[in-house]
Amino acid sequence: MNETIAIQDPFGKATTGKLAMWLFIIMDGLSFGGLLIGGAALRIAAPSWPNPGEILNIPLTGFNTFLLICTSFTMVMALNSIEKGNQDGLKKFLMLTMVGGIIFLGIQIYEYSHFIMGSPELTHNLAGAGFAGATNFIPSTGTYAAVFFATTCFHGLHVLSGVIYIGCILYAANLGRYTAKNTDRVEILGLYWHFVDLIWIFVFTVIYLI
Amino acid sequence: MDKDHKKTYIYNAIALAVLTILELGVIQLPLAKMGQIVLLLTFAVTKMALVAMIFMHLRYETKVLRRILFLPIPAAIYFAWGIMYDMSYSWLQ
Repeated sequence: MNETIAIQDPFGKATTGKLAMWLFIIMDGLSFGGLLIGGAALRIAAPSWPNPGEILNIPLTGFNTFLLICTSFTMVMALNSIEKGNQDGLKKFLMLTMVGGIIFLGIQIYEYSHFIMGSPELTHNLAGAGFAGATNFIPSTGTYAAVFFATTCFHGLHVLSGVIYIGCILYAANLGRYTAKNTDRVEILGLYWHFVDLIWIFVFTVIYLI
Repeated sequence: MDKDHKKTYIYNAIALAVLTILELGVIQLPLAKMGQIVLLLTFAVTKMALVAMIFMHLRYETKVLRRILFLPIPAAIYFAWGIMYDMSYSWLQ
């Protein structure tokens, strides 16, 4: 007796490339989890911890968070454009996402340079936060500084990688390699970029606001 | 998956921006520290869920894939307990 057994793919229409990116996201998420959990453990063990805004510039980083959310929107619009066969839309939104990522990095570098170079205002803020005598805010300033730089720098490297990754896909888009039926690589790039945004949402809350 | 979700994406981006503004507002409120932490973590988890479900299209994926992706969360909680299980003793001292 011939019998046909219907087997449903447990991953649906997800391609191997997309599954590989999800796997990478799980592993990378655990790396960030390790950093944040380690930071939380150090914070609980520390005798004192600065309050939000005592040293870090919350309004500036709040703007950076808003900017990263905007780039997530432009990234999803890039995919939406190419799914409709709109190559110009794809290029335009990829370019906007890349510019947003570069501005995010620029603001982070500005923030770091302000901490490393030091200023009378920073010295005053550091004294108020329990770092009397410190003239600049660098990883060796204390546990708080080390946790801040390790976490934000690790995330910043992800943004930098994302900007380079977008540049590669944008180059291929300029060569006309993506069509309405060939959107997989754009979708995989989107997964990575949204993950970078998703992680920042948590880093911003834990490092800057709590 | 339906091809055009432009409106959903716009509403999602607006919701994320509003939640970010609310987060910045919460730290100005005269709340107890624990209350602030609970509120901020609730906002953060909501924002992360919105990004994952809508921007990353997770709600269109199969149940199996979704379950696999959420598997690291209990693992992270287990790691956190592994690192911090002795914290209650240090608080008692």
